[in-house]
Amino acid sequence: MTSLLYELEAVRHGYGNAFTLDVPRLVLEEGASVGLVGPNGSGKSTLLRILALIEEPREGIVRFCGAAVGHETRPGAGGRRINGRSHLRRDVAILLQDPYLLKKTVFDNVAYGLKVRGEREGLSARVGEALEFVGLPPGRFAKRRWHELSGGESHRVALAARLAVRPKVLILDEPTASVDRQSARLIKEAVAEARRRHGTALIISSHDQVWLGGVAGETLKMYDGRIVEHGAPNILCGPWRPGENGLWRMALKDGQAISAVDPPRPDAAALLDPTSIILTTTRPRGVSAQNALGGTIASMTAEGKTIRVEIDVSGLPLHCTITPPAAESLKILPGRRVYVVFKASSLHWY
Amino acid sequence: MKHRIRVCVCLFTLGLLLLAGALLAAGDDRVLMMATTTSTDNTGLLNYLAPALKEETGIDLRWTAVGTGKALQLGQSCDVSVLLVHDPEAEEVFVQKGYGVDRTKVMYNDYIFIGPAGDPAGIKGKPVQAALALIAQTEANFASRGDNSGTHMAEVKLWKSAKLAVPDKETWYISTGQGMLNTIAIAAERNGYTLTDRGTYITYEANMKGNPPLVILVEGDKALRNQYSVIAVNPQNCPNGAYALAKEFIRWMVSPKTQRFVADFTMGGKQLFYPNAGEK
Amino acid sequence: MAYIIEGFLKAWELLFTGHPETYSAVAVTLKATSLSIAGSLVTGLPAGFCLAYCTFPGKKFLRALVDTLLALPTVVVGLLVYAFVTYRGPLGKLGLLFTIPGMAVAQIVLVFPIVVSLTATAVEGLDRRLRPTLLGLGARGGQLLSATLSESRFAIFTASATAYGRAISEVGASMMIGGNIKWHTRTITTAIALETGKGEFAMGIALGIVLLLLAFTVNWTLVLLKRRS
Repeated sequence: MTSLLYELEAVRHGYGNAFTLDVPRLVLEEGASVGLVGPNGSGKSTLLRILALIEEPREGIVRFCGAAVGHETRPGAGGRRINGRSHLRRDVAILLQDPYLLKKTVFDNVAYGLKVRGEREGLSARVGEALEFVGLPPGRFAKRRWHELSGGESHRVALAARLAVRPKVLILDEPTASVDRQSARLIKEAVAEARRRHGTALIISSHDQVWLGGVAGETLKMYDGRIVEHGAPNILCGPWRPGENGLWRMALKDGQAISAVDPPRPDAAALLDPTSIILTTTRPRGVSAQNALGGTIASMTAEGKTIRVEIDVSGLPLHCTITPPAAESLKILPGRRVYVVFKASSLHWY
Repeated sequence: MKHRIRVCVCLFTLGLLLLAGALLAAGDDRVLMMATTTSTDNTGLLNYLAPALKEETGIDLRWTAVGTGKALQLGQSCDVSVLLVHDPEAEEVFVQKGYGVDRTKVMYNDYIFIGPAGDPAGIKGKPVQAALALIAQTEANFASRGDNSGTHMAEVKLWKSAKLAVPDKETWYISTGQGMLNTIAIAAERNGYTLTDRGTYITYEANMKGNPPLVILVEGDKALRNQYSVIAVNPQNCPNGAYALAKEFIRWMVSPKTQRFVADFTMGGKQLFYPNAGEK
Repeated sequence: MAYIIEGFLKAWELLFTGHPETYSAVAVTLKATSLSIAGSLVTGLPAGFCLAYCTFPGKKFLRALVDTLLALPTVVVGLLVYAFVTYRGPLGKLGLLFTIPGMAVAQIVLVFPIVVSLTATAVEGLDRRLRPTLLGLGARGGQLLSATLSESRFAIFTASATAYGRAISEVGASMMIGGNIKWHTRTITTAIALETGKGEFAMGIALGIVLLLLAFTVNWTLVLLKRRS
C-alpha cells in the first residue's frame, strides 16, 4: 500500500449560502497522475486551489502526506486563507489558468521559489535547467523583463518557476488552454519530463482530453461541485465523417465504425462513460443502440465490487465495468470475443 | 541584488547626513528670537543691524516678520523673546496685561499721505484732520491696509482724531487686507489716496524708476509719527531663560553708538529712521 | 507679462551668480523636505499598506477619513501644528517652532494622508492573482509582505513623487511654523511669498523657476532609480 498523497474528508467550500465544492472523500496516492475534467464552474479550480494548499475549505479535513491541513467542520468560516503548515505548501506547486508573473526579469521570476526556500546554492544552474525544460534558452530569455514576453512565453516562464522548485506535486489548471500550439507542445513535454526525472505527482485540469488520456493514470470528472466519476472515460478522438441517417461515423481499422450524434467539430473528442457499455457474447439484433462493435477481451481487473474489463476493438481500447455474477454467467474471460454495445447518444463531447 | 543594496546604503547615508545637518544647525546658545512687523522687515533695517549686533555682542538675532497683532500674540505665548513693533496703544495694553516689560522707544519714522499728482480732493499741504475730512467729503478713493497692522491702526487713529467714523462701509473706501506695497498699487490703480510709511514709499518710488503715479501730499504732521519700540517678553510670564539676552539687546539698541548707526541707515539715499531712545 | 520674462532672466542670474539668499533658501527647502518626505514615507507607507491589505472594523470609515484629509488647507495644518509646538503647547519644550525640524513636522502632517491614500490605492490595485501566486510559490509571512511591496513599487514611487511635490510647494504651514526667518527657515516658497508681498513679482517668478528646477532634479533622480529596479 503506497502512502497517501492526499486524503480529503467531507470537504466543502463556497461563499455565502451555497457550496461550490462538495467532496465527501477523495484519496490520491503518492506519485499519482490525475486528470480533472468538467465544464466551467464545476468546481475544478476550487478543488485545485485546495489541493495546492493555498486555500482552506470551509469545512472538512485535508490531509497532505498524512498531515492534516484543514480544520474540523467550521460553518461560517468563509474562504479563509491558509497560514499554518506553510512548510507543507512548499511541496506543492500550482500553475494557475492565467498565470501571474512578478514584475522582475525572467530569471528572477523562476528563481523566486528557490529564493523563498533559501536554496541559493546552484541557483543559476537550476534556473537555467528549468528554462531549458520549457524551451526558453536562458541565454536569450533570462534577462528579459516580465512585460517583454508573448502570452505563451509568459506561461512557460510561470511553469519553469514551478518546475525549478522540484515540487512533490505539480498542479496545473488548464495549462494549454490559452497558449499557441508550440508553447502547448513545450509545456506538455516539460510536464512529462518533470514526471520522468523527479517522479513529480501531477494533477491536471484540462479540456485537452487526448493529452489527459495519455498523461493521466486516472481522471476525475466534476460536475456541479461534485466528483461524479472516478475512473478513466473512454476517449474517442475521431475524425468524424458524416454518415447516413444523420449520424456521424468514426472509422476503425477493420472496417467497423462508431456512430455519434452531432460532434461540434470533425476532430472533436468524445467521452464514453464505461458504465454506458453493455457486453454481449452474441451479435445483438433488434436493439436501439446504434453501436455494436466486435472486439476481444484484453484484460480484466477486480475493483472492489465490480470488475473493470478492457476490450480491444480494432486496436481501440475501450473499457467498461461488469459485476462478477455477470462475468461468470457469460463466461467473460480474456481472449473471448464479445460485442461492445452502446448508444450513439451516450457519447459526450469535449 | 548587490546594486540594490548599494542604492539603499547611499540613500540611507544621504538621509542621515541631511538629518544631521538640519539638527546640528540648531545649536547656538546666544540666539535671540524676535517678532517684528512686515513693514519693519521690508525696510531692511534688521538686515543692516543684525551683523553689527552679532559682532559687538555675539547675539545671533533671528526674527520673524508678521502683522503687529500676531507679533504681540507671539510675545504673549512665549514663542519669541523680544518684540520690535510700532503700535503704541496696543503696546501699552500688552505691557499692562503683564506680557511685556522694559518697553523702550528706539526710533521713529513717519507716515505720509500719498495720492495722485492731480490731487482731486485737494489735500496737499493740509493738516491731517483737514485732509481726511476733504477725502470723506469728496468721496475720493482711499485704500486702507485693513489688516490690523501698525499702519492700519495708525490710520484708524487718524480718522478718530478727525472726529470721523472709519468709513469702511463706503464704496470709495477700499479695505485691501494686504501688505503696504500692494495697497499702494491698488490705490494707484483706482487713482486714489492712501496712508503709507515713508520707507515703503521710498521703495515704491524706486520700483517705479523715480516716476511714481502717486506722490507725497501730506507729511510732517506730528500725528503722523510712527514710533518704534522694543519690548522684552516678561520673564515671569515666560520663564524660558531668554530675558537676559533680550535685556542686552535693548541696551544695545538704545546705546548712542547704535542710535547713530540707525540714523545712518538710508534707503534710496534718504534717511529713513530717526532715533529717539530716551525721549519722553 | 513683462515680469514673467524678467523673472526667467533673473532666475539664471540668481543661480549662476551664486546668490547667497537664494542658495540658502534652496538648502533650507532641501533639508526640510528631505526630513518631511523621510518621515511621511516611513509612517505613511506601512499605514497605507495596512489600510488596503488588512481587515479590521471601521476600515471603510478610516479610508474615507484619510481621503478627506487630502483636502486639508495648508494654513489650517499650520495652525494645528502651531497649537502643539508653541511654547505652552504639549510639544513646546521640544523647541520646534521657528526651526527646520518644526517645518518638517508640519509638512509631514500635510503629506501623510497623501502617502497613505496613494499607497492604499496602489496596494488595492495589485493583481488579485498576486497572493495565490506568491503562496503557490511557497512564500510565507515576511516574504509575502516584501514581495507585495516589491510588486507595488512603481505605484509607491508615484505616491512618493506626489507627496514630495506637495511638500516642496507648500507655503502656509512652513510660513506659520518656520517663521520665514532669513538664512534659517526661509524656504523657496516662503521667500516667494515674501517677495510677492513686497511687489517684487519678477523675483517671485525667478524663485518659482528655481523651485521647479529643484523639483525636476529630484523627480529625475527618482525616474532613473525606477528604471534601474
